[in-house]
Amino acid sequence: MIRRIARAIGDLFDRDGRERGLDAELRFHVDNAAEQLRAEGHSREDAERRARMNTGNLGAVKDECRETRLSHTIETSWLDLRQGIRMLTQNPGFTMAALGTLAVGIGATTAIFSLVYGVLLRPLPYGRGDDLIVLHQQAQARNQRDLRFSVKEIEDYRGAKNTLDAVVEHHSMVFLLLGDNFAERVQTAVVSANFFDSLGVKPALGRTFVESDDTAEADGVLVLSHKYWASRHGADPSIVGRMFAMNNRPHRVIGVLPPIPQYPIESAVYMPTSHCPTRSSQRFQANRNARMMTVFARKKQTATIEQARAELSSIARQLSQAYPESYRPELGYKIAAESLHEELTSSARPALMVLLGAAGFVLLIACANVANLLLAQLLRRGRELALRAALGASRGRLIRQLLAEGIVLSLAGGLLGVAIAPLSLRVLQRFAERFTPRAAEVALDWPVLAFALTAALITGIVFSLAPALWFHRGLNDAVRQGAGQSASAASNRLRAGLVVAQVAVAFVLLAGAGLMLRSVLALREVPVGFGTENVLSMRLTFNNRRYPAIADYRKAWDRILLELPQVNGATSVALSSNVPFDPAGVAIGPSNTEFAIEGRPVTKGELAPVVSTMNVSTEYFATLRQPILQGRGFNERDDAERPQVAMINQTMSRHRWPGENPIGRRVTFNAGQTWIEIIGVVGDVREYGLERPVGDQMYLPIRQNGFASRLIVRTVGDPSLMTGAVTRALRAIDGEIAIDQVSTMALLREESMASAQATAMLLAVFAGIAIVISAFGIGAVIALSVSQRRRELGIRLALGARHSSIIGMVMQQGLAMTALGAAIGIAAALALTTYLEKLLFATRANDPWTYGAVALLFLMIAALACVAPAWRISTIDPVSTLRQD
Amino acid sequence: MGKSKTEMLQGTLDLLILKTLELEPMHGWGITLRIQTLSENELRVNQGSLYPALHRLEENGWILAKWRATENNRQARYYELSAKGRRQLAAETENWLRLSGAVGRILGAAS
Repeated sequence: MIRRIARAIGDLFDRDGRERGLDAELRFHVDNAAEQLRAEGHSREDAERRARMNTGNLGAVKDECRETRLSHTIETSWLDLRQGIRMLTQNPGFTMAALGTLAVGIGATTAIFSLVYGVLLRPLPYGRGDDLIVLHQQAQARNQRDLRFSVKEIEDYRGAKNTLDAVVEHHSMVFLLLGDNFAERVQTAVVSANFFDSLGVKPALGRTFVESDDTAEADGVLVLSHKYWASRHGADPSIVGRMFAMNNRPHRVIGVLPPIPQYPIESAVYMPTSHCPTRSSQRFQANRNARMMTVFARKKQTATIEQARAELSSIARQLSQAYPESYRPELGYKIAAESLHEELTSSARPALMVLLGAAGFVLLIACANVANLLLAQLLRRGRELALRAALGASRGRLIRQLLAEGIVLSLAGGLLGVAIAPLSLRVLQRFAERFTPRAAEVALDWPVLAFALTAALITGIVFSLAPALWFHRGLNDAVRQGAGQSASAASNRLRAGLVVAQVAVAFVLLAGAGLMLRSVLALREVPVGFGTENVLSMRLTFNNRRYPAIADYRKAWDRILLELPQVNGATSVALSSNVPFDPAGVAIGPSNTEFAIEGRPVTKGELAPVVSTMNVSTEYFATLRQPILQGRGFNERDDAERPQVAMINQTMSRHRWPGENPIGRRVTFNAGQTWIEIIGVVGDVREYGLERPVGDQMYLPIRQNGFASRLIVRTVGDPSLMTGAVTRALRAIDGEIAIDQVSTMALLREESMASAQATAMLLAVFAGIAIVISAFGIGAVIALSVSQRRRELGIRLALGARHSSIIGMVMQQGLAMTALGAAIGIAAALALTTYLEKLLFATRANDPWTYGAVALLFLMIAALACVAPAWRISTIDPVSTLRQD
Repeated sequence: MGKSKTEMLQGTLDLLILKTLELEPMHGWGITLRIQTLSENELRVNQGSLYPALHRLEENGWILAKWRATENNRQARYYELSAKGRRQLAAETENWLRLSGAVGRILGAAS
């Protein structure tokens, strides 16, 4: 093979040498033949004449010799390419239409593929990422699939030594990081010393943790995430060694991580377990039920994930028997293990697959459109091609040339597509961020470019093959007719078929986009249960060293609640432990606590009732305008000195006390040590996002219970303009309060719908592109058919047909194609939109209204697309048409 | 070219060329003569098929071509069997013998 290529290269560079060789070789043969004939007694002239005659047509022999060579194939392909490029530059209208269509099709597909590749396909940027798994404890009876682990449990599961190499832990805390005139609340990941080694993460700067960092006596050390280092410390290369204070002790930065996806939460800094105040306490470590940590493991290369699950499960069974109090049988405890890759990407998969499908559909439509354009082009070139066939160009050669033209076209279109794809990259990354920590890995790199090239090549072959094959059959007709006039019956059918297919595919896309839009509209319609306008919210973090006791916090809270309403423009102020539509809450949903209702003992083996709780200040309901439906709200006297009280939402009232009055009933969270009296019922609020049905919710006053970290301010005007004034007022109370997650309730609500909206928008963009391309397809077919039938139409007009009836006839043709396409599209959409179901809210995948609207829209657009070409009929002058030819 | 002379299938010609070159390198004319002689004038090779066949075999890498002087001191293109060509010859010979044996048996049975 190598020799063959080398020779081909030699041939290509020394064409003359090759020709001379061929000449000399044949010459030698003829001379020898002549000599032999002379020896047999022929005269010299006679011998030479006979020898040459015997040789046959020398030129043909040479041709045949040349054709065996690789260099010949290369040469003719090159000619085909040049011919293709010439054809394209000679028809700028056709070329631009085709290139535009292809660029959009390939660009869209490439952009979406970069997303799919970066998130779903690219290997995890950890060493041997495929062996990393995440463990979950599950309480099936409570439908809890993501229970954390306690220290004791982690120690026990480290016993799975047959299948696991390492078991490491991770939990997330929020600490204040204090530097020189620098106080910041930082999301802190607390991890095992061998966490990064087990994940196979090498630091970008400095080092990661070692065993000796993870002892109570060791100096405090921190590793910064790449993002935090870059965004907050200006990617300072000398950051290693810098000292910060955290939890009242010095911490030294020892390293910076590379840019890796962080799971389960994006953190600013990492510290070893022994320096987390909570994690290092003796009581916490001894408590089997203090489940706070996420557990990662590295599976042995020789073990399968099923074997790992089996070994973990056998440990879980032993634990259940040894500690029945911690693993109550009625809860259905189990241990689950999933690959880290799956954990990181599973929530992105449905939306990404739908989008990839949509982009693929757009590419298909683009293919059909270009095929159609090429066919029309072929009809016009019928005479040229017939002539070349008559002059001896082989049929295979002509088809190869058509393919070459197609590939030139698709590669150019692909190049354009790749050029426009990066424009969408930022948008797509933002989109991916809503689903997966891997969004930063989305890029237009080699695998994606290779994909684009392959897509372009396949596209080129697909869309030039249909015309080429038709051409193969239709050439005889073309030769006979000498022109593309009536060789077109077969091609018209093919063109109409392509348009029908386009409409069908575009219909599926539009139906999908329509369903998503309807779902978003349904989401927007969901009553949130409070007044979202003019409400500012932010998260506060107090330096806990300044507030040794809960009473100190309560004093600070009282000051905030007293002084903040004085800020100009604030009408009402509240503190709480959560806010509705908090992104973390929307992502994971409520975390429920078991409780007991007075007079309703739970028998052993029965599930205790659960409720989601939050702590609120007195003015919370008034500030949010959440209506109090029954009983009273909290007041200033509901403090630590008085009996504990609670309010519940309407759902809980109906659920736990159907047909009864819940006011005055008592519940307990600590087996009756303290009883909490229900004093009021408030309206339902979609605390955890619009898509989650409202669950049982209980509100407890912060003067009696728990902590508050959210400040909520109702304002007179635009709440976002109040941030500065509110911050200043807070700083006046305590200069070390860290403030973040500043937002308005309206924004938080929008944000909670953003992923659905973004998916809907992307689908709508694809559907829009599809419908425009299809409309052009319909229009082009009608236009060509009008120009082909010009004579026939002229005759009809001459015989007395009215313009309007002929226009109607042509329009009918266009609408018939559309109707057929739409009919096929409906069937296809009914089958395919079931894949959308996971993404839909309160909308059925076969929603008849959406389908009806889409069908109507299509007919209207088809009518519009037919109008322009049909209008040209009115310009037909019967007399001049009849004189043609 | 007498019509009665046996027309050769392409594969057969390839086989004969390879066989002819088995002993020593030869030019195209020499191959023509050798096939004619060995077949006792039963087979005649048409140049129109011979040279394309030679170039094809060369392209396949079964034979190698070299310009060399003849005994009359003229430059001629000599073809020589490559190692790959030798293997091909062995395989094709076996194929041919098997095939012709089979055909012969059928013809023998029919008579």
